[in-house]
Amino acid sequence: MKRIFVIFTTISLVFTACEKEEEEIIEGCTDTGAVNYNTNATNDNGSCKYNLSLNFTHTVDGNLLETDQMIYSNAATQNYSVQTLRYLLSDITLHSANGTSTLLDEVHFITISDPSTFNLDIQDLNSANYTAISFTMGLDALKNITDNYLNESFFPSFSWPDFMGGGYHYMQLEGDYTTTFQGYATHTGGTDGIDFSFTKNFPISLNIANTNTTVIINMEINNWYSNPNIINLTTDGIMDNANKQALLQANGITDVFSVFYPIN
Amino acid sequence: MKKQALLLLCSTLFFACQKDLAPMSGCTDNTAVNYSANAITDDGSCIFFSTTPFIIETPSGFPDMNIPTNNPTTVEGVALGKKLFHDKILSGNGMQACASCHLQPAAFSDPNQFSTGIDGLIGDRNASAIVNVGWNNNLNWDGSAITLEEQAFEPITNPIEMNDTWINVENKLNADGEYPTLFKNAFNIDYIDSNHVVMAIAQFERTLISANSKFDKFLRGETQLTASELGGYAIFNSEKGDCFHCHGTQMFMDNLFHNNGLDPEPFTDLGLGKITNNVSDNAKFKTPTLRNIEFSAPYMHDGRFSTLEEVVEHYNSGGEYSITVDPLMKKLGVGLQLTNQEKQDLVAFLKTLSDSDFITEK
Repeated sequence: MKRIFVIFTTISLVFTACEKEEEEIIEGCTDTGAVNYNTNATNDNGSCKYNLSLNFTHTVDGNLLETDQMIYSNAATQNYSVQTLRYLLSDITLHSANGTSTLLDEVHFITISDPSTFNLDIQDLNSANYTAISFTMGLDALKNITDNYLNESFFPSFSWPDFMGGGYHYMQLEGDYTTTFQGYATHTGGTDGIDFSFTKNFPISLNIANTNTTVIINMEINNWYSNPNIINLTTDGIMDNANKQALLQANGITDVFSVFYPIN
Repeated sequence: MKKQALLLLCSTLFFACQKDLAPMSGCTDNTAVNYSANAITDDGSCIFFSTTPFIIETPSGFPDMNIPTNNPTTVEGVALGKKLFHDKILSGNGMQACASCHLQPAAFSDPNQFSTGIDGLIGDRNASAIVNVGWNNNLNWDGSAITLEEQAFEPITNPIEMNDTWINVENKLNADGEYPTLFKNAFNIDYIDSNHVVMAIAQFERTLISANSKFDKFLRGETQLTASELGGYAIFNSEKGDCFHCHGTQMFMDNLFHNNGLDPEPFTDLGLGKITNNVSDNAKFKTPTLRNIEFSAPYMHDGRFSTLEEVVEHYNSGGEYSITVDPLMKKLGVGLQLTNQEKQDLVAFLKTLSDSDFITEK
């Protein structure tokens, strides 16, 4: 890079010597793959920004989720369907090799009824070697406070009554189960003053320069109910059930989420 | 400014040639409400259009109201909307106003199960209450309108409601003794059109805010709830009663649609499904706010329940299974299994959401 710059400067000087109407050096981003590529720039000043798309996908036993179908079976051998899936991921952060971290989004709400929430575009990333991505399922205790997010799209439907600790749901996973079509509602959140959010950190190897990059964060729904704790669906609400919340949290930490990224 | 100078120059030249015309003075600024096309010299009399902002106060625990940038609430617009809302001039035979089916003592709903239009035709939905509608993401039981402006277009031409035509309404308003001035003052328009009629009505509706119930006073520490009301409050916000998922927060609604198990299939009213053409939305209806619910009987989209006790009993007995019934109606056919005392407590709590100021304020 340095050598190119030196050669470039030399050429420019020579050029200047011959032609008085020489083009001046224009600083900017000279990478055509960058979102702020400047066609007029003659000298790359390190300002290039890159686009990263985060895609949120949802699977059951590895197959993309189909809603309203009584086609799934959990570890407790119950048949079930998924009618509603909404959840919050917070503090979605990229970590780079030099130890810096970049917050991509403080809170992102995903609902299967609105596919536009499956995508989060980050337009202004610096070129770097990113070595990890982390996020929190739900909201940690500092964030999970009633009235903190009044103007977000998940208000009011995601609110958690003050009676049960206040704040917001982390997740609403709902549908029917058994052949008699009973409703279940796997609603996770802070319960009885206990913070059940958890943070996942996935090593990645990502150099996003030169291209638009997509990273996939997948939720494997069946794993909420299987590993290490086999959880039965019931018609009982679980928002007041700290034991159930702890079991779900443990399963969530184990293998509900996975991250896919392009190999350079 | 340059234009004015040019105008002045032209005028001067004009004068030079035509000495017989008396110089006309007046307001020469064409953005002024009293702009005079004939005026040559500006006499400083220009009056510019201005309105007084109507400040919407956001109640505690509510988000900011989403007000369209092209229709800010103004004192003039709100007053005009209120007059229009109560004026029978908007109906085909001059016999009905919006307020005829949205009665203030009933929290701007209709105490009749179905409303009767000007030609005696009867609808099949209960007229919705108009309470804190400025915070609704969509309107009508089936979500057929997104904005209040859009919503207000519909009843005026609906054959089973006010059954008029917009051309006719516009003609009546433009020929009226008062409306042209009121619209001029609110919107600076010289011809009244349907767009500005619904804008004024929407402005008025945004001011129909209820946040001073006994429950609000309780939250502010100004009053106490009875033991029964407190018991109902606890059931409401527990998994046992599970009212809060749809009627949560201080808005007491979730801005969503649900099938709450009123009927088995086949559905007679597809609700949201008829609007979206999505079978998964069949028989889903908009969650109403529970604020002032005591005043807005009868209940449900079709007004099938005449008392709050009947409503509580519906949830207590579990509801009917259908393909789109909400998973939150978890125990279909079994229900909440509340005791009589718990049911009474729940109703007592619901009545703490009554705001007598809201239904009496002029």
